[in-house]
Amino acid sequence: MTCAELEILICDYVDGTLGPDARTTVEQHLAGCRNCAELARDAAAAVAFMERAADVEPPPELMTRLLFHAPWVNAKSAASGVKHWFRKVLHPILQPRFAMGMAMTILSFAMLARWVAPARQLRPSDLAPAQVWAGLEDRVYRGWQRTVKFYESLKVVYQIQSKLRDWQQQQEEETKPAAETQKSGRRTDTHRLPVKGTEEQKSH
Amino acid sequence: MAAAALAMVSGGPFQERTDSGRRYWVKQSLDLDHSLVERCLSGDEAAWEDLIRTHTRRVYGLCYRFTGKDSESQELTQEVFLRVYRTLRTFRATEGAFTTWLARLTRNLLIDNYRRTRQERLTDSIEEQLPRIEESVSAESRPEGMVAGREASEVLQAGLQKLSPELREAVILRDLQDMEYREIAEILRIPEGTVKSRLNRGRAELARVLRRQKVLV
Repeated sequence: MTCAELEILICDYVDGTLGPDARTTVEQHLAGCRNCAELARDAAAAVAFMERAADVEPPPELMTRLLFHAPWVNAKSAASGVKHWFRKVLHPILQPRFAMGMAMTILSFAMLARWVAPARQLRPSDLAPAQVWAGLEDRVYRGWQRTVKFYESLKVVYQIQSKLRDWQQQQEEETKPAAETQKSGRRTDTHRLPVKGTEEQKSH
Repeated sequence: MAAAALAMVSGGPFQERTDSGRRYWVKQSLDLDHSLVERCLSGDEAAWEDLIRTHTRRVYGLCYRFTGKDSESQELTQEVFLRVYRTLRTFRATEGAFTTWLARLTRNLLIDNYRRTRQERLTDSIEEQLPRIEESVSAESRPEGMVAGREASEVLQAGLQKLSPELREAVILRDLQDMEYREIAEILRIPEGTVKSRLNRGRAELARVLRRQKVLV
């Protein structure tokens, strides 16, 4: 048996899957061939070392990512339009890092508020439905009034309202004098202040 | 010398692989895989999840042992399952096992990735290589033959990176993925004799690398 022929058998020999006859033949060759013996020794040592090495475990986040970003999940979400849209909008907010940041901010503010302005202790009477409803109504009313006030005090709103008033007035003026002149046969200037005795002086 | 080597091989720490038990296990997993694939093709989402749960470990292991980088392996694993999703219809149960088909798909992707990133690897900065150098230095300071478990896994990873891709993939498929020579020949599309030849050279080269790091006697 040549070394090239033996090379093919060394794998099975190292694996321990050779039959008794082939095994004897290989061992006879190895006993007399230094190069092949060295190859077999190295191969066996490498296999033994690899058996000692721990298996590679995929990280848990990989499994999660594979299952959540799987193509069939994406295809399904693309099909349901509104759901997909919502997910797309909420996606940056629902990131773990962002959510954690938000939670920490809320916690910090809560602690700060407690320290700066300690809240009044909650009493059982505060939880009575009538009390809760009255408080809620009061808050809603106040809130509504505040909103209306804010809206009316807006400069833009005020300008629009005054402009509309002007237009309305102008329109009234245009229609009113025309009707009056038709009745009396002469034009009167409503913008002028009535001057006492003017009409009498003209007739004299 | 040859006699000593022979003694080490025949009485070495490795044990015979039990073929009958393995054959039964392979048949069971074959049936399971085929039914899973059929369910996936019929549009069963739960089947896709089962497929991912069953094969992620194998695919990730193959990617990690080949690339040696966790983040890259995770991306490649995702890419593999994306390809599986797109091309599962091309799988023919009569032409071989699903695991062989999956390993071939993964291997092709790994080779593509290897070719694509060749330039990046050549221009790797010294900072990136530093941890590997430190790792090999620390490995040298360990007592001989005491490495096992996770530590052995890391040393092995560093050793595998020193092999050429052809030898590395043969060693990974046989010794770390526990595949048959016939399956490896199918995956690599080379004759079984070539698989065995590459495997011998790969194992011997790896042993030499490990010996240089003094983790192998």
